[in-house]
Formats: sequence, C-alpha cells, structure tokens
Amino acid sequence: MSFIEARGIGFAYSPEEEKVINGIDLKIEKGSYVAILGHNGCGKSTLAKLLCGILLPTEGQILVDGLDTADDSLAFDIRKKCGMVFQNPDNQLVASIVEEDIAFAPENLGLPREEIRARVDAALKTVGMEEYADHATYKLSGGQKQRIAIAGILAMSPECIVFDEATAMLDPSGRKEIVAAMKRLNKEIGITVITITHYMNEAVEADRIIVMSGGEIIGDGRPEEIFSEVERLQSASLAVPQVTELLYLLEQDGHDLPRGILHAMDAADVLETYIGGHKNG
Amino acid sequence: MLKDVTFGQYYPGKSLLHRTDPRIKLLILIEYLVFVLIASTELAMAATLLFTVFLVSVSGVRFGILIKSVKPLLFVLIFTAIINLFFTSGEGDPLFAWKFIKIYENGIRNAVFMLLRLVSLVLGTSVIVSFTTSPLQLTDAIESLLGPLKRIKVPVHEFAMMMSIALRFIPTLIEETNKIISAQKARCADFESGNVINRLKALIPILIPLFVSAVRRAEELADAMECRCYHGGEGRTKLKVMKAKAGDYIFLLVVTLVTVAIFFLDRITWSEAIGFCRDIFSK
Repeated sequence: MSFIEARGIGFAYSPEEEKVINGIDLKIEKGSYVAILGHNGCGKSTLAKLLCGILLPTEGQILVDGLDTADDSLAFDIRKKCGMVFQNPDNQLVASIVEEDIAFAPENLGLPREEIRARVDAALKTVGMEEYADHATYKLSGGQKQRIAIAGILAMSPECIVFDEATAMLDPSGRKEIVAAMKRLNKEIGITVITITHYMNEAVEADRIIVMSGGEIIGDGRPEEIFSEVERLQSASLAVPQVTELLYLLEQDGHDLPRGILHAMDAADVLETYIGGHKNG
Repeated sequence: MLKDVTFGQYYPGKSLLHRTDPRIKLLILIEYLVFVLIASTELAMAATLLFTVFLVSVSGVRFGILIKSVKPLLFVLIFTAIINLFFTSGEGDPLFAWKFIKIYENGIRNAVFMLLRLVSLVLGTSVIVSFTTSPLQLTDAIESLLGPLKRIKVPVHEFAMMMSIALRFIPTLIEETNKIISAQKARCADFESGNVINRLKALIPILIPLFVSAVRRAEELADAMECRCYHGGEGRTKLKVMKAKAGDYIFLLVVTLVTVAIFFLDRITWSEAIGFCRDIFSK
C-alpha cells in the first residue's frame, strides 16, 4: 500500500470560489523523494497542506498510511507521521532558543524528558547544528533557521516531511544547505520527502517529479522523462533547467542530441562527443 | 533606531544567575524591587547599591551591554533628577536662589536618590531576569508559580504560551518595522518634520503593514504549531524540568536577609548607627 494516497480530491477555499485543486489522484510510496513543480497559484501549496491534513479536501479522500485525514480523531496520529516545513523560517519557530524550539514537538507528544533530550540532540546532529543548541534563534541566518525548523519536525520522528517552498526565501547558499539536508533525510534515514518548489535545480534532485498546472497534475515521472518534454513544461509556464534548454534549442536547430540531460557536466560530455564526432566525420 | 533596545533580550551564559532556578529568580526580583523602592536613608541606599553591584558582577553580562540598557533611559533619568532638584522644597534656607529657582539640600538628595534608584531598578531587573533567563524559562517559571490558579480555571498555560510567543517575536517584528520604515522612506514618507499630530499620522503607514503582516505570521505560526502536534497544555512534558537546588534556596534566603537588613537600615540614622557600632566595640 502507498504511504500517501489521494483519491479524486478537489478543494476550494469557499463554495463560491473556483476550485484550487481539481480531481487529483496521487500515490506516493514510502521512502520516495518527490518534487511537486508548478508556477505560482497552480495549487501546489494547497496540495501540500491537504497531504498533511492541515486542510481537508472538499471532494474525495486522502489516506496517510491508511488513515483518513478527514477523520478528526486521527488528526494527531497523522500529524505525527507527516510533518511540514513552511516557507518562512521566522514564522515556524516557536521558541527563542534553538534547543527549546526543537523540543516543542516531542514536548507536545508528552514524551519523557530523557527521550526528548535524545531526540533533540539527534535532530540537531542530523541537520549539522549541534554547536548552536543554546543559541538565540533570531540571530541565525535564514538557512540555519530553516535547518532548525527541519530539526524541529525531525524530533517528532515523522515518516514523511513535506517542504512547502522551504527554500524560496533563502539565498543560494542557504538553498544548497536545505537541499542537501533533504537528500540526506531521504537517502540516509529513509524519510519520505515531498518538496514543493518552482526551482528546477531542486526538482532535478528528486526521484520523481509531479508537474501541476491549474489545480491538475499534467506530468508525473522521473526527472529525465519530465524534462525531456520541454514543450509541455513551457505550456505550464515553467522553465526547464538551463542545460536542458540549451540542448533543446540546439536540437531545434537540427542537431542530433539526446534529451533529458539535467546536469551541466553531463551536458558537457554529450556536447564534447557530439562535436568530436563531427570533426572525425 | 530600534536596534539598540536591549529590553527582553537574553544573553546565553553559565554564570551564577544563569544557573539559578527561574522561579527563585522571580521571587528574588520581587524582594529586590521592594528594597530598592523603600531604601530612603544613605545607609539603606548604600546597601542597595552594593547589592546591585554584586548582582551585576555575578551575572557575567558584559559592561557594554549594561551601558546600552541604561542609555535609552537617559532622558527619563535626567528629567526626573531635574524635577526632583527644582521642585523639592526643604526646611531652612535654600542653597541656591535665583528669582523663582530655589535649590534646597533636600532637593539634591532627592535627585541623587531617584537617579540611583532608577538605575538600580533597570540594571537589577535586567540582570536578574531578562539578560540571564531565556524567555521560555521565564514563562515556564510564571506558569509554575501561577500553577495553583489552574484549579480555579485560570488559563495559566495559554497565558504563558502567549507570552513566550510574544517575546519570541519581538526581534522579528522590530526587524520588520525597520524594513517598513525604510520602504516608506524610499517612497518619500516623512517621519521627522511637522507637529506632533502630523508625526503621529506619519506612523499610520508603518503600523498598518506591520499589523497585516503580524496577523499573517500568526496564521502561519498556528499551522506550524498544529503540524508539530500542539494541542494545548494537557499531557505536555518539558525538556527542561525546573528543579530548585539547595543553592537556589540559599540564594533566596540571602536575598531575604538582605531585604530585612535594608528594612532595618532604613529605620536608623547615621548617628544611631555610629552609636550602635560604638556600643558593640566598647563591650
């Protein structure tokens, strides 16, 4: 059984308004690393909130590990399984001191003190911020704050973390820190990572990309598959990674180049062989 | 402009005051406030100042920070001192008289006392509580001290939670205010000229965006807290359980003794004190 399963969900913020989510069916496996891509206002943040049970679908049903998010008595268990990191790091830190903030979730779970201590230390270590345990949160950089926010969710030991544009407010180096943390959580601890973004370079890191437009899913597959369909992405007002675009434009000019190249080094290799082949031929 | 506010800021450290149980610190603070306010003789004031110096020195807070915490109050301090200087009438001849301005010996005394009292109040409160206690510890202490009120259905936990979140957001909102001020200045807003009414009006374009963003932040924070399984105070455990050690009680006892001593010193005059000392030595 899939970890998260959405069955024909629809959502509107009020009955008079237009639907933000329109008939989505989705299955996300345990331990996967999924990126949800889409331009502004395509409903991707709403979808994230639906998957965590912060919002309830107005149509259809969402099951998190077999638990229905619409069932109020299960809300606590669902939140424990599926944490969420938000866009603005300032608005999700509850306490002024790093370790006190990370302890917030385990405190809410009513865990014994030793267990809270152990979880706080482990979470700090995972995000590489051990030496900041007794620092004031407001003095940290954006990337560090966001790592503390991740640690705060990790301390709950969830099975899945949803990142709702968690890198959008960070500078490039902060963004790198967070993407590295996501990868580590997924590959080393086996946490299911769902990241919502409009940065292509981040989506490339995922194992699976879901492309959204107008409240619907218009593409779902491995990054190489998704990015080889340049026209479809452009129709959803999304740009492809720069190297992919370069190769696409060259191909349009009549050069015989492969599609679905995502990284600059791979592209360089491809071009080198291509140019070399021409010289010899 | 708002960057220099040191009130409510916590400076992490490992000093005696940092290690003292926050509940004990709150009780100590109450005693401290009492004797700073009652000290009215030279002896009592000297003892109060001595104790303030002691507190400051065991807090391990840097001197520069202390200066910074008094600086914004400079105007208030000077103002109260001047008011006391000129408007205290005393017995006997004035020391200085020019037209309607008369300065009496009592006036100088009052001015100096008021100045010392205010500076002690600011420094003492800062080092006992705000500089050396993290906001969460402080609210935990208040929650614990007010705990008995839960029985008569006072929402103590909610109150403490609100307070700790408010304290947590002070630096964030200050930063935001500065940003809004800069943004409005870039749009030619004028905050400095005009009369009081105009200047107050100029605050509106700062306050409205600030409120709007505060409400938005509150909504997001509520979502984030829910996501982290917050469900009120019931069944909640704590990472840091407050446990008053023997040393904490001794500290409290010492401060209580100091309070009693200052009460006593406040009742006697110099001559009585000298007589008292002479009695002891002659025995």
